Amino acid sequence: MRHEDGILMAGLAQHGVSRRSFMKFCATLASVMALPPAAGLAMAEAMASARRPSVIWLPFQECTGCTESITRSHSPTIESLIFNVISLDYQETLMAAAGHQAEEALQQAIKDNFGKYLLIVDGSIPLGMDGAYSTIGGRSNLEILKEVAKGAAAIVAMGSCAAYGGIPKANPNPTGAVSVADVIKDKPIVNVPGCPPIPVVMTGVLAHYLTFGSLPELDKLGRPKAFYGETIHDRCYRRSFYDQGKFAKTFDDEGARNGWCLFELGCKGPVTYNACATTKWNGGTSWPVESGHGCLGCSEPDFWDAGSFYKALSMPATPLKTVGVAAAAGAAVGVAISFANRAKKSAAKAAHETTTLPDLEK
Amino acid sequence: MALEDISVVTASGSDQLTGNATAVLHEVAEMLVALAERGESGIIDLGGMPLSGADKDWLTARLGRGEIEMSLDLDGTSEVRETAFHGVWWLVHRNGKGVLTGEFIEVNRVPGLVPAHPEDIREAAEKLGFLINDL
Amino acid sequence: MNELQFLTWVRGPGLNLAISIFLLGVFVRLFEIYSLGRKKDLSEPRNVGGASGINTVFRRSLPAEGMLKKSPISYIGGYIFHIGLAIIVFLFVPHIKFFQGLLGISWPGLPSQLVEFVTIVTIVTMLVILLDRITNPVKRYLSTFQDWFTWALTFLPVLTGWLAVRHLLLPYTTMLAVHILMVELLLVFLPFTKLFHAFTVFGSRWFNGTVNGHKGVAV
Repeated sequence: MRHEDGILMAGLAQHGVSRRSFMKFCATLASVMALPPAAGLAMAEAMASARRPSVIWLPFQECTGCTESITRSHSPTIESLIFNVISLDYQETLMAAAGHQAEEALQQAIKDNFGKYLLIVDGSIPLGMDGAYSTIGGRSNLEILKEVAKGAAAIVAMGSCAAYGGIPKANPNPTGAVSVADVIKDKPIVNVPGCPPIPVVMTGVLAHYLTFGSLPELDKLGRPKAFYGETIHDRCYRRSFYDQGKFAKTFDDEGARNGWCLFELGCKGPVTYNACATTKWNGGTSWPVESGHGCLGCSEPDFWDAGSFYKALSMPATPLKTVGVAAAAGAAVGVAISFANRAKKSAAKAAHETTTLPDLEK
Repeated sequence: MALEDISVVTASGSDQLTGNATAVLHEVAEMLVALAERGESGIIDLGGMPLSGADKDWLTARLGRGEIEMSLDLDGTSEVRETAFHGVWWLVHRNGKGVLTGEFIEVNRVPGLVPAHPEDIREAAEKLGFLINDL
Repeated sequence: MNELQFLTWVRGPGLNLAISIFLLGVFVRLFEIYSLGRKKDLSEPRNVGGASGINTVFRRSLPAEGMLKKSPISYIGGYIFHIGLAIIVFLFVPHIKFFQGLLGISWPGLPSQLVEFVTIVTIVTMLVILLDRITNPVKRYLSTFQDWFTWALTFLPVLTGWLAVRHLLLPYTTMLAVHILMVELLLVFLPFTKLFHAFTVFGSRWFNGTVNGHKGVAV
């Protein structure tokens, strides 16, 4: 056992990841986060020597997609390894312990690092039925969150569910789902939205925290500006087609084959802040628009209720329910008024009234 | 239809010089002076500013090629090329899928990524010791 | 309410409300006006060539003799911005999608850069018309609150639409929502202001032409 290296370096080495690979990873991570190259070196040093990285990961009302995205247990990357090693304290999906053993591990982790651990939450917190919709070991998510948050230095709300309520919160929100920020008001919270988020975003936040002891700069929705500072639209490689007005009209038509803009097919790129257009997915393989499907807007709050994924932004988001009735009502009122007017006219004629100037100015 | 078959032609300015390449060259020159006089190293992140294709070509042409070219197998290939100016190195990082993940110019005696770390050397010494014992 | 929720509201319930009020108002006023009918003219109709309803509809598309010299901005500016509005509203592809969402039909649009050029021309023209109304003493004297208000109701959708496409002033999501809101305000007030001329202008011309044509006068 080496003296200067911390748990992370040993863990990575065990998986065949060399120090140089790790340094390369930190250099590119700093670059992606628009930090100066010196930060990359600092990150490598800080993370390599991290002694007791303490991260507690609580999964609540979630689909596990966020965990899958980050850890990608079927094909590990440095990101997934970092999480594997750093999250040893408590990570329900990945840890070996279960049941009471797991509970004890959690309590121990909280006690040992009170006030210093990073709490990662994925999944929304249901408030309905006193929180009974989602429980672990008989305790509601709400109760667990409030307890574990007490000793956290900061909380990372991972995925759109934890950050904004996500799909459980979508109309009609049967479980009363809310976000982490709706429950915890006295701790710094970073929102890392996306359904799921891009893995490197999560790594970037963690790396920043472990290196500098602080959270990266956040926008007003609590998202790291380094990754959520620009809209998909502003970085989209198909943008010139939008500007020219060249749109694909259906999937697989001529325009689609030519790679034209997907605005008409419902792309929510213009109103979505995320890094998909630059960082892409699956190690830079591709991203939705490049694969021919419009952006869903999955890193924005309430994107499930923002109108169909396949209706353009300039189309009505919900059906216009009262217009038919309104038109009919208008006709009816109009007819009624016309009867009244005609009656007035006949009465005026019968009374031999003349038209005066005030009448014309009415 | 494969991705490559979809012809996407975007109007971009990648054939124009933006002026940023000159700025980078100035920065490299300053860093090289600092290295020469005070032994201070420096790194420039080429991904950190907008550089067009023409800018990169201009920089590569001006910096030229040196005597050393290294290929590093680090979770994807990384290339280290010495430029015609001693102490100025060009680094290109690619991930396991061959996608470019980072590009840097490092001004140093040798890029920080290359020399073996003391901890790694200590461990290697131990390992080699065991190997010899088992012979 | 965050920006995306605001946008979803103006695209959903807000739009529903605005179009409902618009249709209600249009039908009320159409019935109200046209149900009044005409007083029967029992005299012999004079058949003078060029004196009829349809003749007047077309004749009044051009300024009366001498009027163009007296008020060129009204006529030239007026034509430019009306045509500009028609092009922007009906030939800009995102707007065509909007109509498709409402009515189910669509038609080909113009290249977006051309529409943007038309937008700039329209904005400038409307500002010139406003300036003319302010500086010309007669026009200024005749102007009521409704004149300024309806100018703003018509101008703001064009301005905010252009700002949205260009990503200026406000973050895009909010700018787009504001644009849609301005359009909704226009819809809500249109039937109850002089903007209703959109529905009555040709009817009025025809009415005047017919009544006077019956008397043998080409108006």
